[in-house]
Amino acid sequence: MTSSEASVPAGTAGTAKVGSTPSTRLFVRQTSGLVRDLGIPAATGISLASVAVVNTFINFNAGLTDFTKADMYLPLVVAAGIWLVAMFAYRYLLRAVPRAGGEYVYLSRIVSPAAGSVAGLGIAVVFTYVLSTNAHFAAQFTPFMLTGLGAAFHSTAIANAGTHLTSNIAIAWLSVAVMLIVAALSLFSVRIVARIIFWLIVLQVLAFLVLIGMLAANSHADFTSALASYSHNPNAFAAIISAAKSNGVVFGTSIAAGVAIIPFMVLNYNGVLYSYYVGGELRRPGRTYLYASAISIGVLVVLWIGVWALLRARVGLQFMQAQANLSVVNPTAYGKITSLNSVAGGLGYGMILSSDPITKILFATAVPLAEIAVNLAFLTVTTRVLFAQAFDRLLPVRVAKIGDRNHAPNVAIAIVLVIGIGFCFLTSLVNLGSIVALQSLFFALILLAGGISATVLPLRRADLIETPGMAEDARRRWLRNVTLVGAATTILALFTVYELASHSSVYGKFSLESILTLVIVLGAGPVIYLIARTVRRQRNALDLSMAMRELPPE
Amino acid sequence: MLRKKAGKQRALRIYFATDVHGSEVCFRKFLAAAKVYEADVIILGGDFAGKAIVPVLTQDGTLRARVGGDEVAVPESQWDQLAGGLGKAGLYPVRMDAEELDRLTADHAALDRLFRGEIAAQMQRWCDLAAERLDPAVRCIITPGNDDPVDADPIIAAHPRVECPELELCDLGPVTMASLGVVPTTPWNTERECTEDELAKQIDEMLDPLPAGRPCILNLHCPPYASGLDDAPELDETLKPVIRGGRPSIIPVGSTAVREAIKRHQPVVGLHGHIHESRAAQKIGRTLCVNPGSDYSSGVLRGAVIDIAQDGSCLDFLLTTG
Repeated sequence: MTSSEASVPAGTAGTAKVGSTPSTRLFVRQTSGLVRDLGIPAATGISLASVAVVNTFINFNAGLTDFTKADMYLPLVVAAGIWLVAMFAYRYLLRAVPRAGGEYVYLSRIVSPAAGSVAGLGIAVVFTYVLSTNAHFAAQFTPFMLTGLGAAFHSTAIANAGTHLTSNIAIAWLSVAVMLIVAALSLFSVRIVARIIFWLIVLQVLAFLVLIGMLAANSHADFTSALASYSHNPNAFAAIISAAKSNGVVFGTSIAAGVAIIPFMVLNYNGVLYSYYVGGELRRPGRTYLYASAISIGVLVVLWIGVWALLRARVGLQFMQAQANLSVVNPTAYGKITSLNSVAGGLGYGMILSSDPITKILFATAVPLAEIAVNLAFLTVTTRVLFAQAFDRLLPVRVAKIGDRNHAPNVAIAIVLVIGIGFCFLTSLVNLGSIVALQSLFFALILLAGGISATVLPLRRADLIETPGMAEDARRRWLRNVTLVGAATTILALFTVYELASHSSVYGKFSLESILTLVIVLGAGPVIYLIARTVRRQRNALDLSMAMRELPPE
Repeated sequence: MLRKKAGKQRALRIYFATDVHGSEVCFRKFLAAAKVYEADVIILGGDFAGKAIVPVLTQDGTLRARVGGDEVAVPESQWDQLAGGLGKAGLYPVRMDAEELDRLTADHAALDRLFRGEIAAQMQRWCDLAAERLDPAVRCIITPGNDDPVDADPIIAAHPRVECPELELCDLGPVTMASLGVVPTTPWNTERECTEDELAKQIDEMLDPLPAGRPCILNLHCPPYASGLDDAPELDETLKPVIRGGRPSIIPVGSTAVREAIKRHQPVVGLHGHIHESRAAQKIGRTLCVNPGSDYSSGVLRGAVIDIAQDGSCLDFLLTTG
């Protein structure tokens, strides 16, 4: 059974009932689109499913390798706070633009059509870049996956295969393979793709929960003993710390490092507010979205702080700092002590603690499967962003062509695939820490766009958030709150961008390839917009500025 | 004003919007679109009727109503402001006392009459407004959709300033337009529904008198099936959106009869609506199919500007948000 159109205005659907006072009623006639909207549990599920929980180990690793004296408590809590503030800003944006299309639509509607178009094109490129970085993460974890599968199936051949797949070019081709797998899967029907995504999410969440249980059930001594056994080196634990010290790795914790890592943890939570993308289907959208997002942030804070606390207790902060940095500054020395993949972080620790093949398989495959799930969902979002640009005539309309036979957006998928493969080769030349930093920067910029939209909403488009029946002074206070929350989000997003750009240990690592990616992403929007506008003017076609020209109702 | 493009000149500019669902502000914007976009013809393609009545209880000089899920109470002097805010979102504010409210709650026939009365009154107001505001050279066409009561059609048809060519061929100069608001059966059992076979038959019968080779526009409220213009949330048997893979499942819900008709007749343009969230433009064969989508509840008018050449071909189009 299907909905044939949108539901009635927010908060009105299905409210034709008698409440506590006579006036708490709404008469709704039998029209298409009257649906039972999604409640808080469904919206929470959408938010949590939009976050790849195991990616936290990649971001932990990036924080540990990019900064000395790194600890994750402070950044995890502060990043959650940033998303909590942003949550309120997006609540107001959701109210103003209920059928949200994301920051592109917010900027177009609230700031200016040109700004929205430019941001939309930039976001399309960012999303394509993120597809390739996710593929890169899956590729980076392939050696670890093969090691784990080899251990699970007692196959030396499988375990050894991983050692041949660590060069840049091997990682690049593995990334391309992941992109091709995702593109091929996305050609299946929506239902099949949704089922695949669901089960991949289930597997990665299961791996995460099993890991928590395993860390809780084992002691520090169990870990050092398991590492010794895995590395065939009875002093592996101490040897790694000792080698790290002699290679100049500094141990301990510092607030400065914690602050600097905040952007990475902001990236960790990315997706937690995604229930606003389905704002039109939420029951009492503002309230439902708020509860769902707050619950999701709360769950993630507990999970991630919990797993970090367990890692500190069972593995030790000093060891994690030593392992992450030694494998980067002196991989030869690290490789002589152990073959444990340092990038795998917590999943690697779980693997060596595991004594049964099932959990080994779970830990080994968690990241590659999570990345495929994320990319399958992301590919849809990316093609939709491209569609929006095509419908706004910034890209050729055939970009949005739906295939006659398979009803899939074949052209858009092909474009994303080609650009994504290009990014795969670029990312293979950059280290993982820089990729995480770039991703953090891009999502911080997207958050900044949301913050700016909310800040200027009361100033530029107060009409979008009119509240019938609200007293004038109450309305003024309400509008002031919107500006304050928007400004707070903008400042926090700017802080995140500043933290990324100001630390030479992160930004200074940006190579030519990394900078090139940044230039392509940030420059794509204005360049394509200007080209499209010029070409249309030369052809004497309909003026692009008409697309979002404000219509005067009076 | 004529414009050259690839050797062809613009002979007709159409502005098309749809699914305003009673939104006063959207209809006013629709009228303003004629001037802003320099359109020769403005077409409102169905589902003009609102969906809900907000009873505004009058008690001791205070107006009480349920707005956006919350109870609001304002002095009677603020009636215009309250009614204007509700009307913007396509809601019909109706003042009544507690006794009338109870009666309407219990008497579905009376409630249905009230709805029809409100819709008819609004359509009459809108037609009068069109006569008042539109340049005499601009043609204004309003065709119904599946959510519009059939008794609204005669009001539009009888008005001297507005045309309602439902189930008819309408000459627009370089092209002829055929309009039909009926859609395939929906879970909501709305007023203008039929089976796919019946819909195919109605479309064919409507197009029968069209001379061979005459360029035409199909103004069919329902979009073609699996065209990208018909993506909507999948619902379960309780009309609740289905979540798959952590997202609402989106599926095509358009009409196979409309798709077949477009493939067979190959009109120049297909104008569609019905699925608010599926704003899109697609080519089916040589036909440009457009669904501008709808965002009526936030007072935003989505539309499409379409330029037609003297030979009836489509020169260019632009989806608009105003």
